[in-house]
Amino acid sequence: MREYKPKDNVQAKAYYNDRFYVAPQLAKLDPNSDEIFGSDVSKLKANFEILEAYIQKDELVIFINYSKNVEVLKFLRDELNYSFLMEMSAVDFLAKRNGFEIFYEMLSLTKRKRIRVKTFLAKGLAIETVENLFRSANFAEREMFDMFGIQVNNHSFLKRIMMPDDWNGHPLLKTYPLQGDESAQWYEVDKIFGKEAREIIGPEIRDSARVDRYDTERFARLGHEVAKGTDISKSEPNTDNHQFQEKGGVFLVKNLNKSQKILTEQERRDR
Amino acid sequence: MQQANRLRPFFENLAFDREDSQMIINFGPQHPSAHGQLRLILHLDGEQVVKANPDIGYLHRGMEKMAENMIYNEFLPTTDRMDYIASSSNNYGFALAVEKLLGIEEQVPRRAKIIRTMLLELNRIVSHEFWLATHALDVGAMSVFLYAFREREWALDLIEDYCGARLTHSAIRIGGVPLDLPDGWTGHLAGYLDKVERAVREDYEALLDENRIWKMRLENVGIIDQEMARSWGTSGIMLRGSGYHWDLRKEMPYEIYSELDFDIPVTDKCDSYGRYKLYMEEMRQSIKILRQLIPLYHQSEAKLMANVPQYISAPKEQIMTQNYSLMQHFVLVTQGMRPPVGEVYVATESPKGELGFYINSQGEPYPYRLKIRTPSFFHTGILQDLLPGHQLADVVTIIGSTNIVFGEVDR
Amino acid sequence: MAQHQVKFGTGLPVALTTVDKIVNWGRSNSLWVLTYGLACCGIEMMASGASRYDFDRFGTIFRASPRQAEVMVIAGTLTKKHAEFIRRLYDQMAEPKWVISMGSCANTGGMFNTYATVQGADRVIPVDLYLPGCAPRPETLQYAVMMLQKKIRREPANQNKNIPQKRFI
Repeated sequence: MREYKPKDNVQAKAYYNDRFYVAPQLAKLDPNSDEIFGSDVSKLKANFEILEAYIQKDELVIFINYSKNVEVLKFLRDELNYSFLMEMSAVDFLAKRNGFEIFYEMLSLTKRKRIRVKTFLAKGLAIETVENLFRSANFAEREMFDMFGIQVNNHSFLKRIMMPDDWNGHPLLKTYPLQGDESAQWYEVDKIFGKEAREIIGPEIRDSARVDRYDTERFARLGHEVAKGTDISKSEPNTDNHQFQEKGGVFLVKNLNKSQKILTEQERRDR
Repeated sequence: MQQANRLRPFFENLAFDREDSQMIINFGPQHPSAHGQLRLILHLDGEQVVKANPDIGYLHRGMEKMAENMIYNEFLPTTDRMDYIASSSNNYGFALAVEKLLGIEEQVPRRAKIIRTMLLELNRIVSHEFWLATHALDVGAMSVFLYAFREREWALDLIEDYCGARLTHSAIRIGGVPLDLPDGWTGHLAGYLDKVERAVREDYEALLDENRIWKMRLENVGIIDQEMARSWGTSGIMLRGSGYHWDLRKEMPYEIYSELDFDIPVTDKCDSYGRYKLYMEEMRQSIKILRQLIPLYHQSEAKLMANVPQYISAPKEQIMTQNYSLMQHFVLVTQGMRPPVGEVYVATESPKGELGFYINSQGEPYPYRLKIRTPSFFHTGILQDLLPGHQLADVVTIIGSTNIVFGEVDR
Repeated sequence: MAQHQVKFGTGLPVALTTVDKIVNWGRSNSLWVLTYGLACCGIEMMASGASRYDFDRFGTIFRASPRQAEVMVIAGTLTKKHAEFIRRLYDQMAEPKWVISMGSCANTGGMFNTYATVQGADRVIPVDLYLPGCAPRPETLQYAVMMLQKKIRREPANQNKNIPQKRFI
């Protein structure tokens, strides 16, 4: 019977799962356990709706509504001194919750603290750009669009950044296989030689252990070199070609005579 | 004879059909001074850049996707290929992120921490020397290239002595380091430090510091003011070159940096020359750190991997002699460790800047999402704000002084 | 082939040889390499051109323009986005030309068995020599260049390699 493979997540799965294994959770601490984070959260709560706030691994995590991202980041930058947007991207939760989690990593140099602002964006919705607050979002949002297909409103130049413009699909979606879909696998052949060359060039060899020693069209084994296209399935000659020069030397090139040419340490110093 | 293919010559290289003095030229993706596969579409007015549009992704290999399909230990060698000038710093960033996620960062033995710090600083020297070599070559100083590569090879010899590889080390593992230093290694290291210190003073700085051409090409070129540096989320020397006093080794210390005595050089000159001086000074500080580490290494106890049987394989002798350790090792190799559910973002100071790993774990042996925050990515983005207003000849200098590595930009 | 030296007293030495040999001697001893550093292997390629490994000894000089180069060393990962350009640059190189694929990524895609990587540069351009390693050491590249020199010496000098047996590759 064929193994069942879920279509909504084609990433590698654990080979074996213990039915009774319950994964432990990283501790989520109350924000008030840290003085700075406590006051930050209370200031944020006075101005915005904060869905959830906790400290995980020395870092404050707050959940906000996706429509408020610009205001919250502006407040963090101007009022709370989190003036660096170090990183932003998304996490694909389409299969479980039909949406993406978008996170913004903020850094404050004066407080020496990091905040992760997270928001949930349902499928099909677009998020407002924060490019006008942080120029670094210009590249990061383009990457997010490229990798996940999340639309960003009012972005100045929302084009693919990593993949070519005529690429199909968004690679970091869980539905996208690691080795690419069909158009990805034939991309360079289609682009350079055209679709009609597919049959001649053949599919990609994805098996990293594959070695075709009888293929003398494309390979010459060192030490067993034969003319191109010779059939060696019966036997192959031992040409003993390990030397980088032919026997008897090379035309107009003098061979090195080791006993004459290598200087001793004393001779070198005397020179 | 050219073979038949569908590629048509394109004339986006030079747009001549303009009435004014404007011109659009295409820089890259295979340009000897582009430090990799950077493609810049430059709009020129005469020789002045009006608009620059960096096009990246020519080295995108899908590392984040690979991480989602690999167990944690399996992914570690892949991180080598990100910032391939200083690969141990990537190994370390990833290993530290996973250790934080597992909660075992305190259990890494002291000797492992010292060896890690040694490798990180040695990598910093290698990276800065490589930066100097290529940057000087771009500006036209060929001899500096040869000198800097000479000292770089000596450092690579040391690393090769330790882990067997020149470029892609994989020398730092999750939970410690796999090997102890070979006999006499610290002696060689001390000798190397003397040589490289002299080289910085007598070769590089003597050749470049007061060099008229070098100063003309670098001074007041590529000025990143404080606001631009902040807005673009720069880090490392790009940030310190703009007057911010910020180094993660000092401000949010990891490993044993809190015990070490070193300075963070900062300049408020904001130009390429200021950043060049910072690179030189950072090499001196790395030498200073390495000198402090040698006695610390000899005082430490010979233990290399954390003892957390749930996540980390036992030492080889134990695996070979004890059945239960062998079973655990088998499970860890075939199925991988299962960290707790949660997220971490761990940033370290790589030679290029803040290298961060964001891991979203759902309790499975594979990370649910791994985002690599690489400094060079944003340092490439800053080119579109930095280049306009400069002459075409300065473009190469500015790309050089940002110290971008394309394995890191595109991942 | 007949190759012998005739000495007329103390006069000028005269070497008799074939055109093939003299042309191939010239070609094999001045291989100009296109700087084609794509990724990590490009660093090792630079190292082999720098002070310790000193590629100039072989007459191997790095050129930045494909018009001046005759050997292309594909040093690093070839991605699908870049594949088009490697074909363009290869087409721009003058005949005769040779290709060395340096490192696992250029040979077969290597460890990057992903959507974005070309699984072997030979899908796009013909390759003469494959260097294993990730990344190959500079010595390996030197060895490869010497093997290429040997290959060139064996070839007939007037061959036009690209008169195609097949249309593609």
